[in-house]
Amino acid sequence: MNDDYLWDRSGKPDAEVERLENLLRRFRQDAPAPDFAHAAVEPERSGPAWWRWPRLAIAAASFAALSFLAWYAIRATRPAWTVERLAGTPAVGSLTIRAPGHLLAGESLETDANSRARINMEAVGEVEVDPNTRLRLLRARPLEHRFALDRGTIHAFIWAPPRLFTVDTPSAVAVDLGCRYTLHVEPGGNGELHVTFGWVSFDHTVNGATVESFVPAGAMCLTRPGAGPGTPYFEDASPALRAALEKLDFDLVAGGVKGGIPGGVQGGVSGGVTGGISGGVTGGVSEGVTGGVESLEKVRAAVLDTVLSESRRQDALTLWHLLSRTAGAERARVYERLAQLVPPPAGVTRQGILEGDPATQRNMRDLWWDELGLGDTSWWRIWKGPAPVR
Amino acid sequence: MGARTETIADAGRTLGVNQPLYSGPARSAAEDATIVAEARAGDRTAFGRLYDRYARMVHGILLARVPRDAVEDLVQDVFLLALRRLHTLRDAAAFGGWLAMITRNRAKDYFRRSPQRLETELSENVAGAERECSGPDAEALAALAAIRELPDAYRETLILRLVEGMNGPEIAARTGLTPGSVRVNLHRGMEMLRKRLEKIPFSRQEVE
Repeated sequence: MNDDYLWDRSGKPDAEVERLENLLRRFRQDAPAPDFAHAAVEPERSGPAWWRWPRLAIAAASFAALSFLAWYAIRATRPAWTVERLAGTPAVGSLTIRAPGHLLAGESLETDANSRARINMEAVGEVEVDPNTRLRLLRARPLEHRFALDRGTIHAFIWAPPRLFTVDTPSAVAVDLGCRYTLHVEPGGNGELHVTFGWVSFDHTVNGATVESFVPAGAMCLTRPGAGPGTPYFEDASPALRAALEKLDFDLVAGGVKGGIPGGVQGGVSGGVTGGISGGVTGGVSEGVTGGVESLEKVRAAVLDTVLSESRRQDALTLWHLLSRTAGAERARVYERLAQLVPPPAGVTRQGILEGDPATQRNMRDLWWDELGLGDTSWWRIWKGPAPVR
Repeated sequence: MGARTETIADAGRTLGVNQPLYSGPARSAAEDATIVAEARAGDRTAFGRLYDRYARMVHGILLARVPRDAVEDLVQDVFLLALRRLHTLRDAAAFGGWLAMITRNRAKDYFRRSPQRLETELSENVAGAERECSGPDAEALAALAAIRELPDAYRETLILRLVEGMNGPEIAARTGLTPGSVRVNLHRGMEMLRKRLEKIPFSRQEVE
């Protein structure tokens, strides 16, 4: 994932890039400069001055006419993508799609148990819609293509620049940072994201606090209404780890929130790569919850035992996310296990991760992230920064 | 900044790049402005210097879009067109982006003037490369064809990087694209290219 060599030839050479450089240099430009001495140059102005004014008037009239036509065309049409029937009888609104049709901003595409469809978005990408799915096109603008998946399954393959393509679900927003993923939403609002190529950011904001998960190719992430996205993990993680993580993310935390931790858990979770408030769980629990807290903590500790003992080197992705989703003794245990799997680099200290101010914690987590083999954080800044423009 | 320039210059020498080395975005734009002013004043050697600085960019943009055997002629077309229109360029420091736009438009014209050329273009695909020759040539042709099958933004940036030997900051400065955009295009294009190359038999053997 580290692209420094591809970018500016610094860092460790990428064998495949080097191979292609050597292979393809035979096509490089090597022709000498042509003789420009006799090339004709257009004069800066042509014709006498009296002729220039009528031409300017004609140009101005043409411009006005074209502007009116463009304005009329924009008013007359709304943004739309092409919908193609793959099987059965998918419908846009109340109209069944037989031949390729259009999905306009504000319309929904719905498939029954026997229907499938594909949405072609030209320079953005394509989305395949599985049976029993309802998908709404919220916006189709040059810098924003936003869908809402109410239920069902879509497979997105996106080649637009990062962050232009997003899908809202009842409990999280999938922001395309990469290329290919599958998103499933159950009728109750629970969701699953599986990334097969590139990266997807899965986030959810409540009262200004953001829960954010970065999901690379080969990894997945669950999401639940009220809780937002869980901790991401690789698909080949052990079943025990996956089950324990689901409890930690949703079952045990949900009980705590309902028991009266105003903003505590959300605040504590809000620190993916972007950093944020930490320490929410412990603070909130100690102040706001009475009775049952000790048993909740014991159960969480036991479940966390499973997560930590089942973690492999690859699961550092999961533990790294847990650093910002736990607090106090829990975070200390996550720190110790992550340090065993991926030793913290210079600049990262136990005290800083556990007790530092939010900015310090964030900076240290960033430094540690660079050791995970998933690309460096400067790279994240680019993905998360303003959308590139041509 | 100085250290970065040295690094890039060293990389250029290592790769045997003959053209003048890239000297950083700000300095590069300032140098362009000076050379463009000289060329506008009628100094044809100045335009030759612009050719030296930008021939790889123009060649790469065209190679991403038109058949290989048409590229050399079109490179000359583009520079002659730019020379004729140089007085229309308002901001001399934006010469690179302006020239890149002319080049992309010239590539579109190439197909517009003769639609059947599209068939020639399409025949230069991976399968065609495998059929037509073997060995390193076939591998190189197949790799080039695989790049040319990527979306526009990715194939252009990857060809400038992998074929023309430009690095990311240089591509950004020359084409007028933002560094972030170039880096994203390189990364995502390379990821897509790796997937495509996995499907090409001899390419996979080479990697293994």
